[in-house]
Amino acid sequence: MSKKKLATVWLGGCSGCHMSLLDIDERILDVAALADIVKSPIVDGKEFPEVDIALVEGSVTSDEHLQEIKLIRKRAKTLIAFGDCAVMTNVTGMRNYFPLKEVFDASYKYAVSNDQYGQVPSHEALLKLNDKVVPLQEVVEVDFVLPGCPPSADTIFYVLFEFLNDRIPNLSEAKKLKYG
Amino acid sequence: MAKIIVYIDDKKLEAESGKTILEVCRENDIEILTMCHLEGITDIGACRLCLVEIEGNNKLLSACTTKIAANMVIKTKTERIKKYQRITTELFFAERNHVCSVCVANGKCELQKLGYKVGLDHIRYPFLFPQCEVDTSHEWYVLDHNRCIMCTRCVRVCAEVEGAHNWDVMNRGNQVRIISDFNTPWGESTTCTSCGKCLHACPTGAIWPKDIVQGQLNKNPGMITELIEKRKLGL
Repeated sequence: MSKKKLATVWLGGCSGCHMSLLDIDERILDVAALADIVKSPIVDGKEFPEVDIALVEGSVTSDEHLQEIKLIRKRAKTLIAFGDCAVMTNVTGMRNYFPLKEVFDASYKYAVSNDQYGQVPSHEALLKLNDKVVPLQEVVEVDFVLPGCPPSADTIFYVLFEFLNDRIPNLSEAKKLKYG
Repeated sequence: MAKIIVYIDDKKLEAESGKTILEVCRENDIEILTMCHLEGITDIGACRLCLVEIEGNNKLLSACTTKIAANMVIKTKTERIKKYQRITTELFFAERNHVCSVCVANGKCELQKLGYKVGLDHIRYPFLFPQCEVDTSHEWYVLDHNRCIMCTRCVRVCAEVEGAHNWDVMNRGNQVRIISDFNTPWGESTTCTSCGKCLHACPTGAIWPKDIVQGQLNKNPGMITELIEKRKLGL
């Protein structure tokens, strides 16, 4: 059996899901025996390649995320929404209660830490935040959801291992369903 | 009370006439999911989770408000019921702010447990993000409308058990809100006795004491049932 290609992606999230992924500890060797991690925030990589499995952490918060997730959808056979932000926007979606301008002003202009003299950054090289944060399934088709904030290392390993062995995991049956 | 025969999930059961389907199911260890039901206070059939199928009736009926009748054939676990339970749970999550990871009730929440029970892993409906207030005016407690699912257990406990009737309900649809007195800050209430029963009755992180942090909430709704039972016995 040829090795599968695995990618992990970090969109609008806190990277906590990736920290939890690292918590699978020595079991990463079991993953490495079945798959090559070809793209990830923790490996050097340029454009998103063709992969068998993409674990996508975080929600879609900007124009850049939207382009990225559409590209990932084209190039990944199995797209997994990884963590509460990807599945249901979670904390990142809490800014949806306010107009984007208010959010920017609260963070950059009126934050206590900048003595009220802050400016909203607007360089062209920066990504542009969308008005509303949306979960992955609102913009692309998602093949599997893995909720949790973050999902536990055990759950992540279970899901990965099942997919790497061409089985479909069932979180409910495995009693591994968790949010928060 | 006269005993009658009912059939629940193909089991023939003898039960006392006048009881609700929910009571009979619980007595016979048949699981029925509920959110707005709290043992001891009046049932109102609000949450729609306890829906059951009754032979000869096209409509699904709430087990908590439907009384048993002789030879009734009841089904509690059909695919149709499971489908509706999942939809109902998703709609609870989709309406207001139910971000478990930053909620005081995380890990101790009845809504979260319900989600696991019905196998909810994501929400198929768009989130509504309604503007909800957080009332921190009470000296000891907080009312966070964002977490409220309108089960009205607090309203009924306050009126029926404490006898204060501080809580009530205002508006309809997604504008519906729990109110203190005539929609005034909780801290200014002239009827609230600060007994804390609403806090224990609340199944989510909507009412909680100020002296706790994320994930530390411990509620004991069974305490209210116990109190009602003791009162009946005159203890």
